[in-house]
Amino acid sequence: FSLNAEGTTHSLPGKPTLIRCRSPEKETFTCWWEPGSDGGLPTTYALYYRKENSDTVYECPDYQTAGENSCFFNKNNTSIWVNYNITVVATNELGSTFSDSVDVDVVYIVKPNPPEKLRVVIMEDNGYPFLRVSWEPPHKADTRSGWITLIYEIRVKLEGRNDWEVHLAGQQKMFNIFSLRSGGTYLVQVRCKPDHGFWSEWSSPSQVQVPEYFHQEKSMWIT
Amino acid sequence: CMVATARGTVSTSDLLDRVSEHSDMIHSLSTILSQDLDSQLPPVGRMLLPRPSMCHTSSLQTPMDKEQALQISKSDLLSLARSLLHAWADPLLFLSTSAMTLPQLAQSSVSNKIQELKQHSQTLGDGLNILSDRMGQAAQAISSLPYSGGNDLGQDKISKLINLHFLLSCFRRDSHKIDSFLKVLRCRMANMVPEMC
Repeated sequence: FSLNAEGTTHSLPGKPTLIRCRSPEKETFTCWWEPGSDGGLPTTYALYYRKENSDTVYECPDYQTAGENSCFFNKNNTSIWVNYNITVVATNELGSTFSDSVDVDVVYIVKPNPPEKLRVVIMEDNGYPFLRVSWEPPHKADTRSGWITLIYEIRVKLEGRNDWEVHLAGQQKMFNIFSLRSGGTYLVQVRCKPDHGFWSEWSSPSQVQVPEYFHQEKSMWIT
Repeated sequence: CMVATARGTVSTSDLLDRVSEHSDMIHSLSTILSQDLDSQLPPVGRMLLPRPSMCHTSSLQTPMDKEQALQISKSDLLSLARSLLHAWADPLLFLSTSAMTLPQLAQSSVSNKIQELKQHSQTLGDGLNILSDRMGQAAQAISSLPYSGGNDLGQDKISKLINLHFLLSCFRRDSHKIDSFLKVLRCRMANMVPEMC
């Protein structure tokens, strides 16, 4: 490192770390990195990649779309069943520091966005209410063509409780939940998993209040 | 469930459901196996792994993204899946016998899982043959991708592990291709019942 006129210490940038890469739909992907320690100087970051079977090194096509410290690969820049060898380089006026490189095949990093248009309605069966939960796949995932196949999981919680009741819905986009507490307020969330890949985050919760219905049952006992 | 039912008794859409169940299972198993082996491979072994272009199936031209995959005809999708699966018949047999010669793997579930892979691949192959018979001449074409890797995993423990790991990583990618082609084919054939996909 070097000392400048004010006596502060300057050094090469610290080593950046590629933290993760993710594809929401097997058609595009994004990689994120974490900067290393600050060398006390303005530092710029660049991401370089080389595809399997090619010696050409390319720079990240888009640093903007996915936010700070990220690189977004759109459909034209995304191939599957091919390894991308990716390296991040931090540079300041004293020089450059390279991250460890990472090999990524897009098909192994698929994590969809959460399901959308979650709807919870109260239905009735023989005087007992039940919840009908329905949703749609994340709009980016092309389930129609079979390019991605999603299964869903629902979780339900009585407001104020800590424990979630979890149900696997398979490929269905609708699920009924019975045995509700009379007058209880329920929170419902749904998430999805591709045929090969990772669970999405949970959707934002939908809240619903079950009408009072025990009176009906009790009156039956009394009469 | 077995696919080897008498011809004509299973509808094509049921057959496609069943074969994609098997291809899905095969890819999941190969993923678990690769991860099992990954944990056994010392860091030095990772540096010595052959490149994916060395896989014996890498010369087969396959689509590189969704757009390309969706442009392929139904019979070509099936041909690609069959060519890949066919190319793995010999190496899978070799894998299943040689995994036994690695003491630390013979005792683990690795060799059981390789047996399972072999069985599912056999069943999938039977199903795909029935399917290709039904789809006519164009779906019969198959590319020959001979495996010339020999019948020896290597002398020492590390080189055996490396070769096993390499073969499985090739298979993992190919089984993902097979599964993807079959699932696209399934939806293409089911376009009369869009609810399915």
